[in-house]
Amino acid sequence: MSRLTTSVLTTVDRRHRASAPLQRVARVATVLWLPVLLLVMWWIATSASTSPFFPPLSTILAETWNQWVVFGAWTNAVSSLRNLLIGYLVGISIGVVVGSLLWRLRYLRTAANPLIYFLYVLPAPALLPALIAIFGIGEMRQVALIALGSIWPTLLNTLDGMRGIDTVKFDTAKALRLKSWRTYFNLVLPGASPQIAAGMRASLTVGIILMVVSEMVAARSGIGYFILQSQAEFAITKMWTGIVVLALIGTLLNFLFVLVERLVLRWYFRSRALGGS
Amino acid sequence: MSSSTRGWAYGIGWILPSLTVLIVLLFWQLITATGAVSPAEFPSMTDSMAALATELVSAKLWSAVGATLAGWLIGMLITIVLGLIVGTALVFNKFAQRSAAPVIEIFKAIPAIAILPLVILVAGSTLPMKVFLICFAAFWPFVIQVIYGVRSMDPVVLDTSRALGVRGARRFFAVTIPSASPYLLTGMRIASAQALILSVVAEMVGGADGIGRNILVAQNSGTSAYPTMYAYIIVTGVLGIVLTGAFFLMERKVMHWHESQRNIRASNKVASS
Repeated sequence: MSRLTTSVLTTVDRRHRASAPLQRVARVATVLWLPVLLLVMWWIATSASTSPFFPPLSTILAETWNQWVVFGAWTNAVSSLRNLLIGYLVGISIGVVVGSLLWRLRYLRTAANPLIYFLYVLPAPALLPALIAIFGIGEMRQVALIALGSIWPTLLNTLDGMRGIDTVKFDTAKALRLKSWRTYFNLVLPGASPQIAAGMRASLTVGIILMVVSEMVAARSGIGYFILQSQAEFAITKMWTGIVVLALIGTLLNFLFVLVERLVLRWYFRSRALGGS
Repeated sequence: MSSSTRGWAYGIGWILPSLTVLIVLLFWQLITATGAVSPAEFPSMTDSMAALATELVSAKLWSAVGATLAGWLIGMLITIVLGLIVGTALVFNKFAQRSAAPVIEIFKAIPAIAILPLVILVAGSTLPMKVFLICFAAFWPFVIQVIYGVRSMDPVVLDTSRALGVRGARRFFAVTIPSASPYLLTGMRIASAQALILSVVAEMVGGADGIGRNILVAQNSGTSAYPTMYAYIIVTGVLGIVLTGAFFLMERKVMHWHESQRNIRASNKVASS
């Protein structure tokens, strides 16, 4: 995994911070006009819609407020997010720890390679029926599935990131007589962290998919259950509200991730901006 | 390094992985045969392999594999063609790129599975439903890679091609695509993984023909069909290995000169010392 980028949003250039307010307005407008235009187009295109599949946007938004706030469907979102959070944290922790171990122990890496590779490329939703058979229908199974799916992208990116570190740096660490633990925490982990972050983001994408799939196939609560249940009842507007909420949650989680990534890896983004690449 | 140690290292590279697979399979047989795990939860390895053998000669398996692959292939082709066109077009216009960036980011963040029930309603449990979902999931990450790849093109290369009068379609195929190819291949590998996941989901939840549906059907038909279920899961994994492996190999072929690959080769020595 070498040329992987996670975002097209360019980092804020410090030189522009002090620019004229007019320029700042222009920049914000450039970013906002297309999403706003698309929303307006959606609003207009569906405003007089009689198609059962595409209700007016205004109706969807009003219904979203009703369903998710007034009628208390937000509990679905809470249980979904709790499962996601626990499963995801367990998954990426295992990914980083095992990834580091495999980087250090070369023979174990060679030995474990086929197993890890198989589980990485196996589309995780395929494991869902097996996990239903093992755990039955319950929260435990959902957390297990999310954890199981989110291990692999993080693990492989941790491993690749650590293997991709310039060997000259190891020679320097050796010359400085750094102990292996210090080499790990001061050189290996920071050096691989941009790629570990990329892996964690891929894990998050997989985690969200698994969260929804497991709720759609066998569950009594959660956003996925809400959406599919509405579809089965042919309550199309209600289904749309679920889609809107899920889209919002997905977008917010990704936004949150990028925010944390920018904060934690500030040194990396800054050095890259200085390098001019 | 003498030739004998190199031969030994090469042997280890084959023996250890094979040994792992063997141990895992034996361990699987052991815990199921001794009754540590009841067959209602987890079938024995031999039963699953027998089921796999039965399925391998049945038309049911191959038509399912064909259906999954058809969705993957059509979805990938549309994604790659559209992604290349849109991505390249966006790079040559700063304003368009800045305007499109937030839209791409938002759509990429929307889980494709959110719109699955809607697409099922509109298109039914069909191949177009599957293809649409695959494209929706794979297009955004791929187009981001295209934008980065084309943007990373060496300006000297671009100027040279301009000076030589290479333009239009010829420049696109002879200059732009090759210089962006490391990004493009990574993008395709990511898109392919997404496409396969969404394909399985569309079959499982949406009921379209394919491996995903067969896995769920086997699970629903009770304990006696569990070996078949695991046989299908293994087939899905093998499919993933074949598809992802193809992109990995291509990447290594095209990328062997690249820095990150060099470091990876060198790190094999460091980590083991």
